[in-house]
Amino acid sequence: MTALLRYQAALLARSQRWLAPLLLYVAVLAVGVQSGQPVLGSLGFAAAALLPVTAWAVHLCVGQDPPAARAVASAAAGPRRVHLAALLTATGCAAVLAGVTTAVVLLVSSPATDNGTQAVPRPAAALAGVLAALCCVLLGAAVGALSTRPVLRRRGWSVAAAVLGSLLALVTTGSPARYAVTALVTGSRTGTFDPPVLASLGAVTLAGAAGFVVCRLAARRG
Amino acid sequence: MGHRHSPAGRWVLRGIDLALPARALVRVEGGNGTGKSTLLRLLAGIEAPAEGRITGRPARTAYVPERFPAALPLTATGYLVHLGRIHGLRTAEAKRRAGEWLTRFGAAEHARTPLAELSKGTSQKVAVAQALLAAPDLLVLDEAWTGLDTAARTELDRAVAERVAAGATVVFVDHDPRRLAGAADLTLRTGDGGVHRATATPDTAPLPGPRTLIEAEGPPGAPLPQDLPGDPLRERGTGTAPDLVGFTVPTPYSDALLTALLTARPPWHIRRVAPVDTPERPGPPEPIRPSEQPEVSETS
Repeated sequence: MTALLRYQAALLARSQRWLAPLLLYVAVLAVGVQSGQPVLGSLGFAAAALLPVTAWAVHLCVGQDPPAARAVASAAAGPRRVHLAALLTATGCAAVLAGVTTAVVLLVSSPATDNGTQAVPRPAAALAGVLAALCCVLLGAAVGALSTRPVLRRRGWSVAAAVLGSLLALVTTGSPARYAVTALVTGSRTGTFDPPVLASLGAVTLAGAAGFVVCRLAARRG
Repeated sequence: MGHRHSPAGRWVLRGIDLALPARALVRVEGGNGTGKSTLLRLLAGIEAPAEGRITGRPARTAYVPERFPAALPLTATGYLVHLGRIHGLRTAEAKRRAGEWLTRFGAAEHARTPLAELSKGTSQKVAVAQALLAAPDLLVLDEAWTGLDTAARTELDRAVAERVAAGATVVFVDHDPRRLAGAADLTLRTGDGGVHRATATPDTAPLPGPRTLIEAEGPPGAPLPQDLPGDPLRERGTGTAPDLVGFTVPTPYSDALLTALLTARPPWHIRRVAPVDTPERPGPPEPIRPSEQPEVSETS
């Protein structure tokens, strides 16, 4: 598995296709997050923006090798593991991005609520921010995995499904990503917030189930 | 075992019950669209069958596609090292073998060339090298010779013989009926959604192919070594040279047979290596048309 992850990571790194989603994310953060703003709201914004970026990264990793190269790798390691390695590479890269941005947002934001009356402890904000980012990365990975090969093969449908799926994952009641982001935004208003532990567990379960299904399908559909 | 590409699709292959022997060269024949490539992809484990199971696939399995237009952002060696590691080799070992196989196929000068800049033939050499550097126990070649130059084709023939001699199962499809002619242990034919074992009789046997005679001398009274590569025809000398044995094998196997004889315990002494003139067969030359060959159905 390590060899497959290194292979996928090398392909992604050298293809430079990661640049587009990264630049988009940086641009969105530059608009939405400014230094001195309330920390919880900024964390929520940064986490929410990660969801479509992760879905995009998954699309890149799953589609970056031509069918012949994929067949060769699948014969060597099995199609399920090849597909899983692509999903894990994308999710891992998004997780690193999530870690970096959470740290930056924590440093530049003001540790207070929206109206500036209550202090927000940084360690608690950091934990809540990391978990919310994790929820969004995992949900984004699930959306990305379900909206590309082997589920949807046509590029147009694939992109449309990813955009729609990301939007739904952020606004649908009951979605772990929505729950985690809402918890941060409300916390920023009221000053009381808990780390979204349950939502994180939900996101892990959803992403695991999506990964299991698409990896099985990857073997069936080649 | 059966397969179709989508739940509502047409069955490409169905009702296949097949066991592939170890240490064997298996040829797959059949017209276009009869499921040759699908059968190979299923055997290589690239796709899982829609019904039934394939069991006992060796851990080291390698596949060579017909065309390998790998527009990957890696150099030839970089790609081969990654694939070697995926096959379970250590980095240093993968790098060593990558260089070795690129040299064998005459592509050593392209070791540092990005894959995207390689010619079609050189890309194919990289695809072949990735499969062989793992020393696979199951090697699946889907018209892997296509695009290779003559020297590389001959080298691939020899490499295939080496793998079989080492105990691997090699399954191949090639549009050229003379490819590894006379060396295949088993010929399968796809058609009508099934796979049949094509049995050869003296009249309809595929081309005998080029053969090589190796005359070797064993230690006095030594028995003939067992399980020699290529299952050679043996003729023990008489009269003045009772220990002289003539081995006739399909030419791709000649190197493997020489290695086996020279490394036998006790080793054999090689007296002569010579090509054998292929006897002309009466009637029009091959290829054999499918209808001429009796078939034993293995399907249910």
